[in-house]
Amino acid sequence: MMKNYKLVDNKYLQEKLYCFRVEPGLDLYVLPRSGYQKKYAVFSTRFGSIDNKFKSEPEQDFTQLPDGVAHFLEHKLFEDERGNVFDRFAAKGASANAYTSFTQTSYLFSCTTNFEDNINILLDFVQEPYFTEQTVLKEQGIIGQEIKMYEDHPHWRVYFNLLESLYQVHPVRNDIAGTIESIAQITPELLYKCYQTFYHPNNMAVFVTGDLDPFAVNKLVEANFSARCFEPLGAIVRSFPDEPTQVAKKRVIQELLVSEPLFYIGFKDVNVGKLQGSELMRREILMGLILDILFGTSEKLYNDLYREDLIDESFGSEYTAELNHGHTMIGGETKDPEQLYQRIMNAIKAMKKTGIDTEQFERHRRKILGGYIRRFDSLEFIANNYLAYRFREADLFMLPSILQEVQIDEALALLEENLEETRHAVSIIAPPAGS
Amino acid sequence: MQREYIMHTMPNGIRLFFLPTSKFKTISIGLFIHQELNSDRGALSALLPSVLEKGCRLYPDYLTLQRRMEQLYGADLSTDIIKSGERHTLAFTMEMAHDRFTGQNGNILEDGLSILSSLITDPLLDHQAFRAAYVQQEKNQLVKDIRALLNDKVTYAAERCAALMCASERFGVYKLGRIEDYEAISPEALYRYYQHVLAGNPIDLYVVGDLTEEKLLEEILRYFNFTRASKEVILPQTTINEVSGQPRYFEEKMQVNQSKLVLGYRTLTGFRDELFFALMVSSGILGGFPHSKLFLKVREEAGLAYYINSRLERHKGLLLISAGINYENFEQAKMIIDQQLDDLVQGKISKDELDNTKQGLLNNLLSRQDSPSQLISFHLDGTIGGRNYTVAEVKEKIEAVERENIMTVAERIKLDTIYMLRPEHGGDKTNDEKL
Repeated sequence: MMKNYKLVDNKYLQEKLYCFRVEPGLDLYVLPRSGYQKKYAVFSTRFGSIDNKFKSEPEQDFTQLPDGVAHFLEHKLFEDERGNVFDRFAAKGASANAYTSFTQTSYLFSCTTNFEDNINILLDFVQEPYFTEQTVLKEQGIIGQEIKMYEDHPHWRVYFNLLESLYQVHPVRNDIAGTIESIAQITPELLYKCYQTFYHPNNMAVFVTGDLDPFAVNKLVEANFSARCFEPLGAIVRSFPDEPTQVAKKRVIQELLVSEPLFYIGFKDVNVGKLQGSELMRREILMGLILDILFGTSEKLYNDLYREDLIDESFGSEYTAELNHGHTMIGGETKDPEQLYQRIMNAIKAMKKTGIDTEQFERHRRKILGGYIRRFDSLEFIANNYLAYRFREADLFMLPSILQEVQIDEALALLEENLEETRHAVSIIAPPAGS
Repeated sequence: MQREYIMHTMPNGIRLFFLPTSKFKTISIGLFIHQELNSDRGALSALLPSVLEKGCRLYPDYLTLQRRMEQLYGADLSTDIIKSGERHTLAFTMEMAHDRFTGQNGNILEDGLSILSSLITDPLLDHQAFRAAYVQQEKNQLVKDIRALLNDKVTYAAERCAALMCASERFGVYKLGRIEDYEAISPEALYRYYQHVLAGNPIDLYVVGDLTEEKLLEEILRYFNFTRASKEVILPQTTINEVSGQPRYFEEKMQVNQSKLVLGYRTLTGFRDELFFALMVSSGILGGFPHSKLFLKVREEAGLAYYINSRLERHKGLLLISAGINYENFEQAKMIIDQQLDDLVQGKISKDELDNTKQGLLNNLLSRQDSPSQLISFHLDGTIGGRNYTVAEVKEKIEAVERENIMTVAERIKLDTIYMLRPEHGGDKTNDEKL
């Protein structure tokens, strides 16, 4: 029998991943997990809030989108001629949801019964768009309330204000949901146009995990897709503006009713755009190590700051590496943003000078490895992260081996190059004066 | 089939609940010290886990402890204070990657238990008092945490509603106690209180993972068989009160973009009530799911809200409905909400609503069996409520709920308190006309 799948046997995690290719070009991944009651499936497209200028070959002209279309489309797929999709999942005992990020939109469900029915409901509703003037109008009201909810959320605001400051033109600086003004421009035609481009199987992938037979899952998915007709899709061309090296704004302060100021500092990564796959993952792992050594709970800085009452448990750091943008963010709630700013900058400078010692590096390497293993208890973690890496041509299962390879010298070189003082911005949420 | 916990009572009265399972990559441990919730001891109790976590005799500061955890492959140790009904429970949890995956040979259980035991039984003391500097530092942090509740307006609104509603009951105190109580707590008094609680209050220890019972018991006896009082304190059950008089309306003005409405109801139905499961199904039909009445009527049909849900405080028998709306839509939203509740009383529930809600609850129930921390919290919740149903029993009881049971229990649901967090000036900002 001809083998139509690839088997990845990960010795480290003691897991097997089955990779199928379903006509006309959908990637299907199945990871069996025996003993689990829950089955989890996610159906994702490489279409996020930053994909706002595109064409599919041989089109001549680019389509320019108002902000918030990917997220709007996500909301609207849950409604079709037969009514509300949640009802269909509910009738089969599944819990369904969806989310839109900067780079992808994902539709998912989990269930403990009726898996076959539920996977078909998922594949059907995502592949059967239904947009009308009336439903678009109503959704503008609902998403308007969603936007307002986030406006009242200081942690969300401090984050987006920082992105707006770091980036001058890249669309990552725009809110995923858009604005009340931008979503007012959305029409059914525009949604169909995006749908036809980005929701083609070539641009999508499915991940399924739980106590399941991978071949049976493949059969179900193949049957669903073979019943449909797909026009061939030309290569999708996304256009991104050239983001300058310099940040847009060095500092942004917004007043919101908070108990104490919120402070984030960010560094723009200007080299990440050249990388993908395991190179990108390597950079991410190294930055994870660097940040943990600089700001982690087991290091002196964190403990000093905590003792001096300059931070609380909300203090943290993260690095984001996408195909065409990347940045580091550090911060949390603090009574004294200026003081915290100085201490963070000093710590970065000091490490550039004194380096990292081997004991430290190995300890943090171990910690990251253990954390990675622990997360494999969660089916959601595995499925969502596998696809997020896959969409960057990387492989979640490669993490342990790359983590074992990386060296201190590499980390120090990256620290020097990436946390560069001239490319940082600061975002603060401060309580209104007199409150 | 579903495995159940194996229970042992240690000679000192600590109860061990062990769930042997090989499906996870982790070993999880949870130790819980139960107390009665008391407004005057709220701050005292909240301080304990935080202070204990900051240092013990073997790991005298947080940095040392965190480094030790990193050597154990980034084992996660955390502490918390849980308010559940009128119980106030000190929580210490640990999650470790199983040796099978880290390539280390087999001491992880012993290592983990010994650290947890040090933290709980061998704290860092100076002359029969907790270290003063740590106590002061954690006081500052917890007072900040109480103030920070304001930062998340949705949670803040729900907490305010419950507090106003139960102002004259034990339940009315916030889980971190009152700010004004912190200052007076001395390191001596805190330690005396801890000794008292550790000796006489009920303690439950949970372990979930791929371990042998024999080995586990041996280690538990070694690390947790410390001397305790010969008789444990008997904690009172949560009191369930009736609504007195007309619903009360509270409004708070704040600098927000969106109004947060919370309706607090009393159901007169606690965890051990025969109709508890009918109440669970009722709350589900009303607002527990995306197929629920409130979501469909308020969000999908009227487009008034992005989030609207109902949830139960199962021990206290409270039902809270939360929604983010425009202030001027209050009357309309309230009318729709009243109508949905009335429909429950009248039995206007479709077969689909009933079946789908039951299926949704069963899906949640079974899904919890796939997460070590939720396996623990599910059982702990039963312990706190005074009745440990097995998964099979809960399943059976949910399935047995009929429309008549819902009508009976819905009749008991009475509105007590309306809480509205609203913008300071007039209506909500920006673009209301579009809705």
